[in-house]
Amino acid sequence: MGKFGKEFAKGIIITNPVFVLVLGLCPTLAISTSIDNALGMTLAVLIVLLGSNIIIAAIRNYVPNITRIPIFIVIIATLVTVVNLIFHAYLPATYEALGIYLPLVVVNCIILGRAEAFASKHTVAQSIADALGMTVGFMLALLMISFIRQVLGTGSLSVFGVDLFTLPVLGEHPIAIFILPYGAFIVIGLLMGLFRRTGVMKE
Amino acid sequence: MPANKKFWKQAFPIVLLTIVVAVCVSLLSYIDSITREKISAQEDEAVKALITDIFPDMSRYEFKNDIYTVYSDDTKLGYAFLATGKGYGGDISILVGLSDETTVKGIKIVSQTETPGLGSRITESFFTDQFKGVAINNVALSRDGGKIDAITGSTISSSAVVNAVRDTAMEKVKQLEGSD
Repeated sequence: MGKFGKEFAKGIIITNPVFVLVLGLCPTLAISTSIDNALGMTLAVLIVLLGSNIIIAAIRNYVPNITRIPIFIVIIATLVTVVNLIFHAYLPATYEALGIYLPLVVVNCIILGRAEAFASKHTVAQSIADALGMTVGFMLALLMISFIRQVLGTGSLSVFGVDLFTLPVLGEHPIAIFILPYGAFIVIGLLMGLFRRTGVMKE
Repeated sequence: MPANKKFWKQAFPIVLLTIVVAVCVSLLSYIDSITREKISAQEDEAVKALITDIFPDMSRYEFKNDIYTVYSDDTKLGYAFLATGKGYGGDISILVGLSDETTVKGIKIVSQTETPGLGSRITESFFTDQFKGVAINNVALSRDGGKIDAITGSTISSSAVVNAVRDTAMEKVKQLEGSD
């Protein structure tokens, strides 16, 4: 595996942003109620993280240490606002569903975390690999959590308006707690415990 | 000139930050200018879709003083307006349609944060359909002598919708009569 591959792969399991780094939990908990939301949030994070990692890696040698955080924040905030406007104009349903959590990507620790811990110290190519790996890791985590929450909490699974299946008993009596915010904590905690216990992911 | 060099070393971070902010602001105003029209069209479209749910024959509407007057070509179909109720989990936003000054044409829940599976069932048609063709005065829960059956286990959500619809409708009717 080349260097690019290594930076990409680490984000998926070894330093999975949600289960291992435990970054960006606020949007993860809030929007993981359906597969649609998970994919919408992933798209937003992909655009912002890729953009901020590329720009920050490109200018890393010119940014003085004392102003690096304000500069990173301005760049990230700009990208988030751009994504916000574009989603509002072209993906109104996703924009509605993500609500306040779309502008809040700006304070998603994954993004500033990767800018500070990775992009400001590595080349553009490595930072692209890092951003893609982190996004895939984030997406897999979100999909896992929202799959469980959507199936148990609504008793059925539909993706972008297409009904995939409805469970026999749960379809009539869904376990509503899984759709509510505390359901997110239960699911995320159990998954994290499972991954630690089985040794798939370590601290 | 060492003094000059020192000055530059101190000023550089400020200059760079200013440049970064200037570039970002220009980019944002550019993106805003190309998406603004699309966004307002999108919002219009959303309002239209909601009103069409209540008035399927709508061809156009006029918006004045928070009231949408709905027309099919030149025939007036009725009025639509937003009502807000205090539900169990937060505000419930409801679009109310009136076929004339006394009768409800239908309602549509625009947004709500009620308990999923219980209060959130106010969005389902078995509940909202009960409002169709009911006189404004009769919009009340059946236990209070009205025509609307509450959802089992969700009395607070149900009565929030009922009260918001009735109170806002009465207020808007007064407003409509006042302007005629």
